[in-house]
Amino acid sequence: MSILVRRSNLMVPVTNEQFVAGAWRHGSDAITLDLEDGVTPALRAEARELVMDAVYTAGKGAAEVFVRVNKGFLEADVDASVWPGLTGIMLPKVESPEDVIEASDVLNDAERSRGIKPGTLRLILLLESANAVMRVREIIAASDRVSQVGLDESDLSASIGVNPSPEFDPFVYARGRVAIEATAAGVQPVGVAYPLTTMPRLLPGEDMLKVATDSKNLGFKGIICPHPSWIASVNTAFTPTESEVDIYTQVREVFAQAIAAGTAAVPFAGRMIDVPVDEWAKVVLATSIACQLRDTEKQTALAATSG
Amino acid sequence: MSNADVVLLDLVEFVPEKDKPSAREGLGDVVRQLREGGAEVFAQVDSELLYADLHACVCPELTGIVIAHLESVAQIEEADALLGQLEDERGILHGTLEIVASLETAEANQAASQIASASSRISGLTLGRAELVMDLRPEPSGEIHLMQYLMQRLITVAGSAGVTPYGAWWRAPDRGLLATPENTGQAALRGRAIGFKGSFCVLDNQVEPMNQGFTPTAKEVDEAQNLLEEYRAAVSAGAASIRRGDRIFDAGASLQAQVVINRASACAVHNKSKADAKAGRPVPAP
Amino acid sequence: MPKDIGVHRSGLTMPVVTPRFVDNAWRRGCDFINLDLEDSVPQHMKGYARTLIKDAIANVTKGGAEAFTRINHDLVQADLEGIVWPGLAKVNYPKAEYAEEIQKLDRIISRLERERGIRPGTVEIGANIETSVGVANAYDIASASPRVKEFGGAGGYDMSRDLGVEMFVGFDQFVYGKGEVELAARALDLEPHTAPFTANTTGSVGDPDRAFREAEAARKCGFRVGGGLHPNVVEPQTRGFTPPPEEVEEARKVLEQYRTLENSADTWAEIDGKIIDRYEAARARKLLDWSATCALRDQEKADAVARTEQAGG
Repeated sequence: MSILVRRSNLMVPVTNEQFVAGAWRHGSDAITLDLEDGVTPALRAEARELVMDAVYTAGKGAAEVFVRVNKGFLEADVDASVWPGLTGIMLPKVESPEDVIEASDVLNDAERSRGIKPGTLRLILLLESANAVMRVREIIAASDRVSQVGLDESDLSASIGVNPSPEFDPFVYARGRVAIEATAAGVQPVGVAYPLTTMPRLLPGEDMLKVATDSKNLGFKGIICPHPSWIASVNTAFTPTESEVDIYTQVREVFAQAIAAGTAAVPFAGRMIDVPVDEWAKVVLATSIACQLRDTEKQTALAATSG
Repeated sequence: MSNADVVLLDLVEFVPEKDKPSAREGLGDVVRQLREGGAEVFAQVDSELLYADLHACVCPELTGIVIAHLESVAQIEEADALLGQLEDERGILHGTLEIVASLETAEANQAASQIASASSRISGLTLGRAELVMDLRPEPSGEIHLMQYLMQRLITVAGSAGVTPYGAWWRAPDRGLLATPENTGQAALRGRAIGFKGSFCVLDNQVEPMNQGFTPTAKEVDEAQNLLEEYRAAVSAGAASIRRGDRIFDAGASLQAQVVINRASACAVHNKSKADAKAGRPVPAP
Repeated sequence: MPKDIGVHRSGLTMPVVTPRFVDNAWRRGCDFINLDLEDSVPQHMKGYARTLIKDAIANVTKGGAEAFTRINHDLVQADLEGIVWPGLAKVNYPKAEYAEEIQKLDRIISRLERERGIRPGTVEIGANIETSVGVANAYDIASASPRVKEFGGAGGYDMSRDLGVEMFVGFDQFVYGKGEVELAARALDLEPHTAPFTANTTGSVGDPDRAFREAEAARKCGFRVGGGLHPNVVEPQTRGFTPPPEEVEEARKVLEQYRTLENSADTWAEIDGKIIDRYEAARARKLLDWSATCALRDQEKADAVARTEQAGG
């Protein structure tokens, strides 16, 4: 099974020279260079000039590199972004399938004119309105380029007119809908357990690990990080732990013995092991290997570049 | 005279079947009287008795109707046509009477998106007394079973259709008729936090807690204003977000702050027009 | 008339290939026995397992339980040929994802009912939602055949694997999926079984106290369907899903108070800090119906056990 490992995705305003220069050292699986909300409108044209070099710099640690474009300046932003080393674009404020088709068409053109194999560039979609949440199925299905989809809960709050309070999660429905519909469509949902996305903050590593683990257990496959301090915890949370790998290795052994003995249900450590548990064990072990490979790639790149 | 924004005259829940004919008589006069007091007036009508109920309540002073025990899109279409006909007959500008759809049955909730867009008159959605109609009971946590899902689904559907979601987040053992003012205020606060904009209630002493719970507090408005000023200053200096302690405030946070400020000023304007109406001063049409 | 209520408070799912489970099943006091051809049966034994079902149906129903069979998602045709025999009450179809799957099941079952002299429509279909695709299509699946009478799922191992989450993490991970499934069930007037979340961080399947607490909490939210894997949970589930005498008494009182109210000009009254109205009356009536139905079912099972014991097992 092929598993996309994009656990952490660090957002960096492309205009922040210092952040862009250091982004590759933080170990995130992906880096998104922001041309949208992270850039003041007055600097937008200037910001586009910075993307080409930033794509190169951001890729030095083997992270996948994305650019968050402005929905209203799609062509100019894509034109400024499609350079060697770019994995794809993050499309914000997606409202309809037409938005996704339009972006995909713009990418088609860019691929053709820059000599990139058609269909290579990926899309990460951000949904920011109730309408987008209701139409998520059509939106995801609109292009094969879609690899991840997430909710921008901060903008969604404003869109439905709430100022969220930490005790009362307004997005259990919306988040669940995105996780289920994305998974059903074979696309990765990305997102964070409440209330960290509506109220982003820096947390001690332990607390961040708890939030990231909860996020994983809601069905998400990764987290878009507004700050480098999130990355280590996020990577850890979305990587199977050593003890999980141990347990599920044993599960596979015990289950194989049971099958050989003619039964497909066998007790192990107080639980019943049957086919779905064994299937899950396969997924955990494969994910563990995929994460190890990704981490090795990044470490190798980091060593080569630093050295 | 209560200080409610809306008075909802009920023909469904609190009128015994045998008293309905007499309740319908003279309903127009009651609507007119109440409107003079400054509140908007709605009538709650029965989805199965639309013809009789609408003939009884439609008059120029009525803002709209709440359709209770809704089950299908067809009922909205029937109400829409009847309202249009009555508007024409009774000298009301065509298309002005609003419909709030009360999604109290599972069928109506299942069809919520279609219902919300079935008529341009739909101005709001509510779950009404869904927990009673659907017989949803408290879980061990005190939350009423399925309501978290139904509330947030309704708010999302309403947001998607551009109509207003009404409701409050009740917890057992509270329920309309037994809820204390304090618990009503809590239900309103929780409701506002997940996106409701106001709620119906049944007792006089629940009105003030509802108004308060659904109005941003002075402290919230202050904080929002400070944040917005600081954010704008940072943006004009070329930054994209500000840090306060361990919190990060970005474009999204500034939009949320704007929501609070807009909501608070809309509430203030509305309070003033209610006060003017009570004092007999002329009130512009809502 | 209230709709015909199935009584499925407790039940055991067991591999049909394990004789010691199947032979003792009738003594367990379950409302139903779910004979498994799916996850608990190894791939190479599927064919053999099918041949056991016909006798197993007769065997496990000796104590008055209904017999169900869980078939394999990908072996529908062969499994149905092997299991649709007189006495089978329900086919449980795992990982339902599309309405077309249920329609196909319905067609095959209808043919087998005709060929094997079973009254048309006898065999129910349990369409279990265990994947995100299933949740996304829940309403279409639930409305695909009149044989679907109970509807639930959207939790459990398969759902967790599909979403890539660990189970037993102490918070409710499936609010959206369970909500979609329950709303579809209610909109179609099917019996929902999407019990409320109770934190369980152990994953234990044989804890009788937990089983009772969960069943009781589910009943208090209006649920009536149980089932499990371990004999220890049968009695607690049956008890937890049956209204206790004090609640039956309370319901009678509510109905009495409501009758008084009906003769007055009010639609509600507050008595001893409780509201009495038509909703409370409807709730009380439902509880009394359910209580009577449970009592009847328990009597049937006791009679069946007595008959079987008299006949020497």
